[in-house]
Amino acid sequence: MTTLNAILTGGLQGYILVALLLFLIGLGAVLGRRSILLQFMGVELMLNAANVALLAFARFRGSDVQGLAFYLFIIAVAACEASVGLGLVVGLYRHRLSTDTDRADALKQ
Amino acid sequence: MFLIFALITLAGAVALVFQRNLVVAGLCLVLCFMGVAGLFLLLLNPVAAALQIIVYSGAIVVLLLFVIMLLNEHQEEPAVRARPLQRWISVALLLALGAGVVRLVAASPLLRQLNAGLATQAPGAITLATLGNALMGDHLVAFEVAGLLLLAAMVGAVALVKRDL
Repeated sequence: MTTLNAILTGGLQGYILVALLLFLIGLGAVLGRRSILLQFMGVELMLNAANVALLAFARFRGSDVQGLAFYLFIIAVAACEASVGLGLVVGLYRHRLSTDTDRADALKQ
Repeated sequence: MFLIFALITLAGAVALVFQRNLVVAGLCLVLCFMGVAGLFLLLLNPVAAALQIIVYSGAIVVLLLFVIMLLNEHQEEPAVRARPLQRWISVALLLALGAGVVRLVAASPLLRQLNAGLATQAPGAITLATLGNALMGDHLVAFEVAGLLLLAAMVGAVALVKRDL
């Protein structure tokens, strides 16, 4: 069973499987939790899953440095997203005194 | 070694989803990011591992924990109304997606081919020098635009949070 062996010992299949499962867990956090802060953490998990897949493919295509360059751009965008997203969370809390997304279902109060 | 880091990553992520306390969930996120950094080390990519720890476990999680403590919302609020049907549908869909993903990865001939191709390559870690050459050579415009984007996000975050400018 070479595929199972590759998954257990760190072949490409193992990294891709970890990335996909990480993405699904992040999706579960976004869908299943009500707190907007936990949903934000789920989004960060999904972004990280994409990074793991990107760098795994870069490694298995001959340690391609372009993968790392794109990883750098992705974390620059992730840092922007984190600062603006958390600013929005603070703004939402000021308006409604709540971080529950079920309670923030109208555009205007 | 791969299995240890993969389990740390997935365990941190699962603990985050089922955690009641938001501060502890943030610490679970740190655990998960550390596992991902370990995976990057195993991929012979020490630069990415260092960046992962500095930017994610450092900057982003600290900002997140800062906001959690600032808002004083350490617990999730009780639900406005229970939605058992939607909850079970989403769990079932996620499980089906997970099973499909495992089957897809295990059966993919392309992944097997790429995995087998690793044996023929010379091993070598990516260093900061090669990254710098790639950034300043191939991606110079994108690099400058990323800097501008960071500036715009910084100004935007200040404008969003400030009560009256």
